[in-house]
Amino acid sequence: MWGKGLITGMKVTWGHWFGKKETVYYPEEKLPMTERFRGGHLAFDEEKCIGCKLCAISCPNAALDLTVSVDENKKRHMESYVHRIGRCMYCDLCIEACPTKAITWDKNYEFASYFKEDMTYDALVEARNRRGNNE
Amino acid sequence: MAQTEKYVLNMGPQHPSTHGVLQVQVELDGENIVGAKPVMGYLHRGIEKLMESRTYVQCVPFTDRLDYVSAMNNNLGFCMAVEKLAGIEVPERAEYIRVICAELNRIASHHVFIGSLTNDLGSATGMIYAFRDREKILDLFNIICGARMTAHYIRIGGVAADAQDEFLRDTQKFIDYVPEMLDEYNKLFSGNEIFQARMKKTSIITKEMALKFGMSGPNIRASGVDYDIRKIDKYGAYGKFDFDVPLGKRGDNWDRYMIRMKEIAESAKIIQQALDNMPEGPYMAKVPKVLRPPKGDAYHRVENTRGELGFYIVSDGSTKPYRVHIRRPSFVNLQALDTMCKGMLLADAVTAFATIDPLMGEVDC
Ligand code: SF4
Ligand code: SF4
Repeated sequence: MWGKGLITGMKVTWGHWFGKKETVYYPEEKLPMTERFRGGHLAFDEEKCIGCKLCAISCPNAALDLTVSVDENKKRHMESYVHRIGRCMYCDLCIEACPTKAITWDKNYEFASYFKEDMTYDALVEARNRRGNNE
Repeated sequence: MAQTEKYVLNMGPQHPSTHGVLQVQVELDGENIVGAKPVMGYLHRGIEKLMESRTYVQCVPFTDRLDYVSAMNNNLGFCMAVEKLAGIEVPERAEYIRVICAELNRIASHHVFIGSLTNDLGSATGMIYAFRDREKILDLFNIICGARMTAHYIRIGGVAADAQDEFLRDTQKFIDYVPEMLDEYNKLFSGNEIFQARMKKTSIITKEMALKFGMSGPNIRASGVDYDIRKIDKYGAYGKFDFDVPLGKRGDNWDRYMIRMKEIAESAKIIQQALDNMPEGPYMAKVPKVLRPPKGDAYHRVENTRGELGFYIVSDGSTKPYRVHIRRPSFVNLQALDTMCKGMLLADAVTAFATIDPLMGEVDC
């Protein structure tokens, strides 16, 4: 009978009136990010970093711009750690390359902005601010 | 007597039914299509050229951006080509994880096919059903690699990280859900009389035509040609699994849709076997930190969601590929568009676009 398929389809749709809700009420409700989630800003750990620049070398798009200084004891210090989000494709290669695990994702995905300038930030400054706030 | 003349109508690149940025110049005689000419290049990023200035490891994330709804399959194709070139043996566990991810991605990509097809035929609700279920797979990818679409999970020599128990458990849960999901789709779309009327006996591609066009993937199988690289080459671990290759008879829009529905069931079958026989062991081979494949070239092809995806890599013995060429199935399949549209009504052009399933990231590369 013509139309039988239409009715069967309708039944499926109506059935979902009573079903479980599939979506969450963003932004009031948020989905948890997974352990391996790649996204957000880079959380930089000044104590762990040895200034080897391996992260910047392994980046396919030159999204990391590092300035390293060397003191009289030949110890390397990070002066600035600029991450250009506009160039980043979140491939994780920088984090995997770091021998001391000095960088991780902060997993905060809400960083959309109106201005191009906000797409570039210094992870070192952010890390110091965070520490200043905690102290 | 009324005078008529042909005129050209531009569909796209912003038209919602053209799946990305495809522009089609449709030549019309009234409502009848006389010719359809795809115009492409709007998404060209020069990925082949970009790869020449990056190391082999750095090239892999670029393949995510080719066919961005089945990134895992692209990763797999490129990594296997490099492995062939450099003579790297992949551990068995990694092979199994690769198969699970590639097949999950195939299902997710077919969800996009079903969703956009029903949407193009005027049923916006249909799309929501398909995308609801695709979300389940993207969540699985989020667990295993931390990204939903641009996975960059399959790496040269294995996979980026081991599959956790959580991932394997949730994959099993999804596979258990597949029959129920397909049943719901069949009730909702396949049985629908309007859907059938729009799909059956429209935009036919015969076996001969499909072969002449060099089509591949579900599109050529819908025309009745038994051509599946997973069966022919048995690359990776595919030789160990038992699955069928569904074939169509007429090569019309309906067959192209039904093939994908059946392929979802077959993919689920493969994943179930991989889950049941998952071997223990390392997930990554010993790959030198600085990879320098010997001078020479290699070609490797995989069965991508849209057909035969091939990577041809030439090495000059340095850390970067000398040349990479990518055989993209969507690009080749798109040639058939003109033949599919000729003689049909304008409204059917939209169905033809949808069932040929081109992905512009892959067409333009
Ligand atoms: S995630 Fe990839 S693209 Fe982004 S900074 Fe790290 S290496 Fe570069
Ligand atoms: S790779 Fe790690 S240790 Fe080396 S410079 Fe980068 S963040 Fe610092």
